Amino acid sequence: MDDAEPGTIERELYIEAAPEIVFDVVSKPEHLKEWWPDDAKYEPTPGSTGEIVFGDPTTDGAAVAFTVVESVAPQTFSFRWTHPSGEVAAEGNSLLVTFELTPRDGGTLLRMTETGFRQMGWEIAVLEQQYQEHIQGWNHFLPRLAPYVATLETRR
Amino acid sequence: MEPLPATARSLRRNTGDAALNSSNEPGPTTSADDALWSAIGDPTRRRLLDLLLADNGGTATSLGRQLPVTRQAVAKHLGVLDRTGLVRSSSAGRERRYQVDEVQLARAVAQLSAVRSAWETRLQRIRRIAETIQQTSDSDLLRHDQSD
Repeated sequence: MDDAEPGTIERELYIEAAPEIVFDVVSKPEHLKEWWPDDAKYEPTPGSTGEIVFGDPTTDGAAVAFTVVESVAPQTFSFRWTHPSGEVAAEGNSLLVTFELTPRDGGTLLRMTETGFRQMGWEIAVLEQQYQEHIQGWNHFLPRLAPYVATLETRR
Repeated sequence: MEPLPATARSLRRNTGDAALNSSNEPGPTTSADDALWSAIGDPTRRRLLDLLLADNGGTATSLGRQLPVTRQAVAKHLGVLDRTGLVRSSSAGRERRYQVDEVQLARAVAQLSAVRSAWETRLQRIRRIAETIQQTSDSDLLRHDQSD
């Protein structure tokens, strides 16, 4: 819980997998949707704009804008999200998520920062809505995680 | 829910002269406090909440006297806080008197920590997926070696 500056969420964890593998997992849409949204549509190249989908957007779900900012395999992957669709992602209208990967002891030290809360001037109602969307995304996702891991394991 | 008393205490801890100095952020706060203030978005509003908690409420005039900004600017910031529900106002003669809504303040803290914990969960999933792939490719290599 020791975040570097106000308005930043910062996390670091060690993963027993090569940086190349971790980079794929944090950057490729087919992997992203296994750990976060229900669907992810974007090209993992800088400047590419797409969307990530939580739940069913035609009912109570949401499609959220997603723009790749930087992609340097296997070191850095960053993207902006939550900007209004149709607007170009920039500081002030979106949150910036950055993954930084460092080789360490045969594995990878993964550092994640999310900034932009201050710039967006988020107020409570928005935060609450966002929070609800997160919860909803996880509710959709959780039941699918175990089968996904199982398929990876059976390939052994 | 984060317990409110800790937040209120840490705010009160910072109501000394440092909090009134326009060139400095208030003194040491916990990172949870920092995130909350960032969401609220503005150091002046942060000091307003600080003063409101310390004085158990105030008006634009009384608050303006303690801050290096105009009464009009204070009133505008109070309006923003009012709209987010972080303060409540009541009529006090010709002015409105503002008080911190401690329930809303506690909710804001809890919501920010929820965003954090959501990332914690995602990162654990990233770790599990990556390590599973690594183990899979390691055992593929091993099988390949053994078949040679």
